[in-house]
Amino acid sequence: MSAAVSLRARSARALSWWPAWLLGLLVLAAIFAPWLAPMDPDRQNLLARLKDPGFETRGATYWLGSDELGRDVLSRVIHGARVSISVAVLSVLLSGAVGVAVGMLAGYLRGWVETVLMRLVDIFLSIPAILLAIITVAVLGPGFVNVILVLALTRWPRYARVAYGQTLAIADRPFVRLSRAMGAGTPRVLWQHILPNIAGPLLVVATLEFGLMVLFEAGLSFLGLGVQPPMASWGAMLSVGRNYIATAWWIATFPGLALFLLVLSANMLGDRMGDVIGKGR
Amino acid sequence: MRPLTGLLTGVAITVLALPAFARDVTIDLTGEPSSLDPHMQWNPDSYYVYRNIFDNVVTRDNDGAIVPQIATEWNYASETELVLTIRDGVTFHDGEPLTAEDVAFSVNRIIDPEFGSPQLGQFNQIEMAEVMEGNKVKLTTKGPYPALLAQLVKLSVVPQHIVEEVGKDAFNEAPVGSGPYSFEDWNRGVSVTLAKNDSYWGEDGPFDNAVFRAVPDAATRIANLQAGTADLVVGLDSDGAMQLAGNPAVKALSTPTERVAFMGMNLDKPPFSDPELRRAASLAIDSVAIAEGLLGAGEVPMAQLSSPAHFGYAPDIAPFEYDPEQAAEIVASKSEMAATPATFATAPVFDQRVVQALQQMLNDVGFNISISMTDMPTYLAAARAPDRAERPELNFGRWSCACQDADGIAYPLLHSGSSWSRVSNAELDALLEEARTSLDENVRLAAYEKVHQIVRDDYLVRPIYQAAVLYGARAELEFEPTANESMFLNRMSWSE
Amino acid sequence: MLRFLLQRGGQALVAVFGVVTLVFFIQRLTGDPVLLLVPETATEQDIEAMRVSLGLDRPLGVQYVEFLFDMLRLDLGRSFVQNAQVWDILLSRIPQTLQLAAGALVVALLIGLPLGLIMALTRGRAISRAIMGLVLAFQSLPTFWSGIMMILVFGVWLKWLPPSGTGTLAHLVMPSIALGLLSLATYARIMRSAVIDELGKDYVRSARARGVTTGRLVRRHLLRNSSIPVISITALELSQLLAGAVIVETVFAWPGLGLLTVQSIASRDFMVVQAVVLLGAFVTIAANLAADILYTVVDPRVRLTGKA
Repeated sequence: MSAAVSLRARSARALSWWPAWLLGLLVLAAIFAPWLAPMDPDRQNLLARLKDPGFETRGATYWLGSDELGRDVLSRVIHGARVSISVAVLSVLLSGAVGVAVGMLAGYLRGWVETVLMRLVDIFLSIPAILLAIITVAVLGPGFVNVILVLALTRWPRYARVAYGQTLAIADRPFVRLSRAMGAGTPRVLWQHILPNIAGPLLVVATLEFGLMVLFEAGLSFLGLGVQPPMASWGAMLSVGRNYIATAWWIATFPGLALFLLVLSANMLGDRMGDVIGKGR
Repeated sequence: MRPLTGLLTGVAITVLALPAFARDVTIDLTGEPSSLDPHMQWNPDSYYVYRNIFDNVVTRDNDGAIVPQIATEWNYASETELVLTIRDGVTFHDGEPLTAEDVAFSVNRIIDPEFGSPQLGQFNQIEMAEVMEGNKVKLTTKGPYPALLAQLVKLSVVPQHIVEEVGKDAFNEAPVGSGPYSFEDWNRGVSVTLAKNDSYWGEDGPFDNAVFRAVPDAATRIANLQAGTADLVVGLDSDGAMQLAGNPAVKALSTPTERVAFMGMNLDKPPFSDPELRRAASLAIDSVAIAEGLLGAGEVPMAQLSSPAHFGYAPDIAPFEYDPEQAAEIVASKSEMAATPATFATAPVFDQRVVQALQQMLNDVGFNISISMTDMPTYLAAARAPDRAERPELNFGRWSCACQDADGIAYPLLHSGSSWSRVSNAELDALLEEARTSLDENVRLAAYEKVHQIVRDDYLVRPIYQAAVLYGARAELEFEPTANESMFLNRMSWSE
Repeated sequence: MLRFLLQRGGQALVAVFGVVTLVFFIQRLTGDPVLLLVPETATEQDIEAMRVSLGLDRPLGVQYVEFLFDMLRLDLGRSFVQNAQVWDILLSRIPQTLQLAAGALVVALLIGLPLGLIMALTRGRAISRAIMGLVLAFQSLPTFWSGIMMILVFGVWLKWLPPSGTGTLAHLVMPSIALGLLSLATYARIMRSAVIDELGKDYVRSARARGVTTGRLVRRHLLRNSSIPVISITALELSQLLAGAVIVETVFAWPGLGLLTVQSIASRDFMVVQAVVLLGAFVTIAANLAADILYTVVDPRVRLTGKA
């Protein structure tokens, strides 16, 4: 009896983490895209443009229809997962690493380091993201790697501000002072004492940022600054497909749905983690 | 409520037989005009608006023939002197008469390098304009210049007394012209409103007011048309126009233009420095599939850098063959050079469907092309890099000189002295110069035919199709699109 | 406090100076506006003539010094592309941007705060989770997609609202919602955690024990005490809204600063870009400064320092 209850409770708890499961599923789809996709995502067929879901030609079935160049929407959605997820993951890692390092140093060392770093944060926060995006594309050329750079360049100040605020709040705590008094160097204090204590809120920020990055990549595509065609990303598909909502709804709807689920699960996960961390304190 | 009012208005009109149903018109452009001073910027969003405020020296009718507007007659006094007779009885919107002085002033204003007109290049063959006896103006050109009249189609006449009094900035903000519509209001970033000029000398406009709005997103422009908040929208493609098909209240209008789409190849570096590989690239491209299968708004496959809308079009140039198997064989025989990674430079303004289709066609036969899409300034800086070897291997263009003369596209793209050109061919240079400076039409036609044939034989540039322009309109709006993409309000009407 | 403000104000000026200098040079190194002003068939001589007439042929250093002097005289220059004084252009755009930001803020606050409050009060129940799901769903839609969907449904199909443009309150509704949905979740979350924090405090427990109703509690104490974090986040959200409305403005043809920024950068209209960046930098830095001050009010553990 009690075993059954605990089993049910456990499975209910596991289920309540469904965003994590969904996220995992999408990541798996991204990893195994070449094996899952029924067709070459970039293969055009100008004779099979804008065909409905289920359209068949020469033995191939377009389960989710075809796009404006006769490419298979299903295959592009599956391959798009790779681009959208890896852009988001890498830009979060890059901006997070830079931002957290800057924020911790500023909050821990104070003094002129704090002044210089935090004013640098202000400078970056006050340049319009779109300007940074265009400049990066102009200087480095367009493409996958540079989209990540653009996102990292525009987002690291957010992490820096959070890490800075959190570091300020615990830098004066006894255990930090004690460790410093015992001769620990700055890197050691930051790494061993500060980072673990501020990791919770940062992780929550990172999860929410992940969702935002997926949306930002889509926005960059809308403005013509995203990954290069014909590479499939959900953002690129969505920004082209929105012109076809009345005539070929499937082009935007399926990548849109996928993108929505990805961002939603990331946001849900961030929210759940925030709750758990909040309770722990 | 609204249908009822509409019905009542309709009844009132039939019963009272009012002279005209002068409904206002709302036109959605992609952006706001850069300038309403017709001697400044020359881009569609600007000239769609200011060409209704101003009259030009001459104009083209809907069939493309040059017909009188402010000039009623023109005669060559010598090879380099054109005498224009100015129309009597034309007044500016402030009531002052338009005179030969105004015409000469307008010409001298736009060719003054100090003034800094972006259109200078279209008029810099004119040396000066002088007023002559009997309301005439004499234009002197630097040499014989056959495209002069075609350029004067774009030269608007401004009132000397106002421009000199208020200056450049103020004139731009409140322009005064002699056209069928007068300037009413400019709500910056939003719209420009024009009002009908009741004392216009020519054909009256059918609308009391015309509002030109800036709506950057194509999907939103279509939505405005569907919702009835816009009467005419620009900048559609065939897939966008498809949305209008199911709605009887709206329609799509299109016509082939004088815009020629082409693929530029960098002749200074591999793989396209090799003429055989250029031939392979050409064989790989299915112009018909692109023009008709993909675009399908009236685009016509072209094998020369001009179109039937141009003077200098050569109808006998053979179409390009499409033979991907042969292309693949050529590429296979030169596989090392053909596999050189090549960049296809493009910008968001170009139709990405076409660029992607071209990329796939070329890669299918064995080339190694990747697309590089950047913003327009970056694209232009790369495509016009002073060192030709630094330019991208491929680029896509859709050019119009708005002069409907083969010179406008062929000279800048092919003459070795032009900054766009990637060609150095003495024979081509001589032909282009001959055609540019002869007033004998037969000499010019013969020269252009040879130019087109050389381009065709050596695959120097790959013309693809004559572009079409597509508008969306209310079903009851009568509007005939033209090859030079003009939008004259007084040539429109309501069909009610 | 005054010392702090002066120091931070001074640093802010340095930061603004850094931003405009960076922008001045970077945009000049990444493109030439003249190439876009002339027809594509223009020759090299035409282009050079145009460059001379705009003063862009002079050495960068000379242009930079002149730019600095102009800034000191608050002369923002003249737009190459729009042929108008940059001040006039900015002044026509600022009211539009403020309207849109205010509209979005109203949407985010009016919907976000009550939802946050309800979530806090119903904490742990299904309704709370459902609301959170809804709020997060709003935040997970790309604006350029939700925007065009709203236009198609409310503008084209139902014809309740004008699809695009400005002028009336009806024009403001859809853009405000599209933009506000992004901030809504932030407000709902902040409100929820602030109220939950308050609910755990002793005065609430004792008030409850005295039999004070939830409604009275909310009105008398919770709202006021949770307002500080809300205000503090508003400073940051506002600067985001002012800068981040590019896509909404594009979709709804709303003539705000975001659209102006994108179009000016795309045409390398240097003078306008500089002016917009200058304005944006002032607003953002001021907002951050405000947030920092409020931060210390919320959390007294943080010391205010200009310099160690």
